[in-house]
Amino acid sequence: MGISGFGYLIKEGVKNVWNNRIMSIASVCVLISCLVLTGSAVLLSMNVARVVESVGDSNETTVYLKDDVSNVEAAYIGRDLEKLSNVSTVEFYSKEDAFKEYEDVLGEEIFANLQGDDNPLPDAYHISMVDLSKYAQTVSQITAIDGVDSVSNRSEIAERLTSINNLVTTVSLWIILALTVISLFIVSNTIRMTMYSRRFEISIMKSVGATNSFVRIPFVIEGMLMGLISAVLSTGLLYFLYNGIMEVITNIIPITPIPIQNVIAIVAGAFVIAGMLIGALGGFISIRKYLKKEGNEILGW
Amino acid sequence: MIEFINVCKNYSSGTHALNNVSLSVDKGEFVFIVGASGAGKSTFLKLIMHEEEATSGEIIVNGKKLSNMKRRQVPYLRRHMGIVFQDFRLIDKMNVFDNVAFAMRAIGAKQSTIKKRVPYILDLVGLKNKAKSRPSELSGGEQQRVSLARALVNNPEIIIADEPTGNIDPEMSYEIIELLNEINSQGTTILVVTHEHDLVRHFHKRVIELDRGRVVGDSAADDDVTEEDLLVRHEDLLLDESLK
Repeated sequence: MGISGFGYLIKEGVKNVWNNRIMSIASVCVLISCLVLTGSAVLLSMNVARVVESVGDSNETTVYLKDDVSNVEAAYIGRDLEKLSNVSTVEFYSKEDAFKEYEDVLGEEIFANLQGDDNPLPDAYHISMVDLSKYAQTVSQITAIDGVDSVSNRSEIAERLTSINNLVTTVSLWIILALTVISLFIVSNTIRMTMYSRRFEISIMKSVGATNSFVRIPFVIEGMLMGLISAVLSTGLLYFLYNGIMEVITNIIPITPIPIQNVIAIVAGAFVIAGMLIGALGGFISIRKYLKKEGNEILGW
Repeated sequence: MIEFINVCKNYSSGTHALNNVSLSVDKGEFVFIVGASGAGKSTFLKLIMHEEEATSGEIIVNGKKLSNMKRRQVPYLRRHMGIVFQDFRLIDKMNVFDNVAFAMRAIGAKQSTIKKRVPYILDLVGLKNKAKSRPSELSGGEQQRVSLARALVNNPEIIIADEPTGNIDPEMSYEIIELLNEINSQGTTILVVTHEHDLVRHFHKRVIELDRGRVVGDSAADDDVTEEDLLVRHEDLLLDESLK
């Protein structure tokens, strides 16, 4: 098939969308709502993950050392902590540092008698973890180190945040799956209607010896075009929707959301690919039935 | 060109449409296929176009056995044929030019070829001035000529016309068959299914008569015989059949 042959097929695909425009608009609307919902679910999941991450960062875990640990031993413990794979940063926090902090907060007088060797506070390390979901496992590794007294209990926050993140991800995936199926159904039905209105032409094409792929291509293009239109509109819609919603949310909860400018290109790319893929697949599915038929069967006679 | 060897066709509904049919049509022949409705004429054409497959026996078209033809080869088989339908099957939202060009586009012809070929064919069928008209603006005879132009445009070796005169005036009918006759004289094989005996008698061509799925008559073309002779021959055939 030459270039002109292919140009003709593309033109026919565009014509399909236009001639059946009411149904095309309906499919594009359904596709847009599916894409926007899917995009929102993904962005929500990304934002939750980001919050979890930032909470994880600020929530350093404190590892308290035993009272009788010397400075040298403390340095060795610090090295052991660094060796753990799930520990990203290790920072020594001496009893003097701790004392100072208490003093600053509560006032000098109370602690006047507790300075120097009388300091009752333990030496400690502030550490942060790479993956909070492995919190319990990492804590047990830390407490196994000689000279470690205890680890501050942050597991509850970590677990809750992690489970929220997991829930959001799972729900998003189900939403995406369900919406993909719905989109496919709507798009293939729309194309089936175009095909019904063009069944006469299909029967003539087949009688003069058009190959199945030649008959099929305009309908696949029709689907892809609807997908493309939906992707472009969805990207714009999501852009404004996201900024609006995030403004409301940040007024209620003090978080810094992912700026839409950072992800809009990826979102647009994903929308175009997903939209065109669903459209093409919808075209493929709906024409299969027709291609198996011959002659008057196509016309339903 | 076309050969049927002991072909039977049964439909799943239980109809025995063709029963042990053997015949052959040579390249360049002009053949009328006649018979009452239900005689198996439509099935005969569908089998040639490979819209249906024979239940048993072998069909050979253009040197190719249809029994072992793969689905993806069927379009290429059909490019050797031009089909003319009783109801014209023209697309009314396209003008005459585009209706004819449609058959070329469907097989991926180049735009430049289409621009040269379509006017030539329209001229051949006498519709040069109607290229811009819609099919609904034309008479039945003219519409059938558009349909014929579409069948001819891809330069097929066989023209298959299924009741081409069924929906047009008797006068126009002669013109259509005359046109097919001219095309035949260029070497194209022509198969015409019809039940109009007047028309058949007028043209002195080979006549294959089907009745209840069997070939009950096959008279060779005879340009010298008179219409009287043919009439007698036909009545003899019917008499034979009723005696059986």
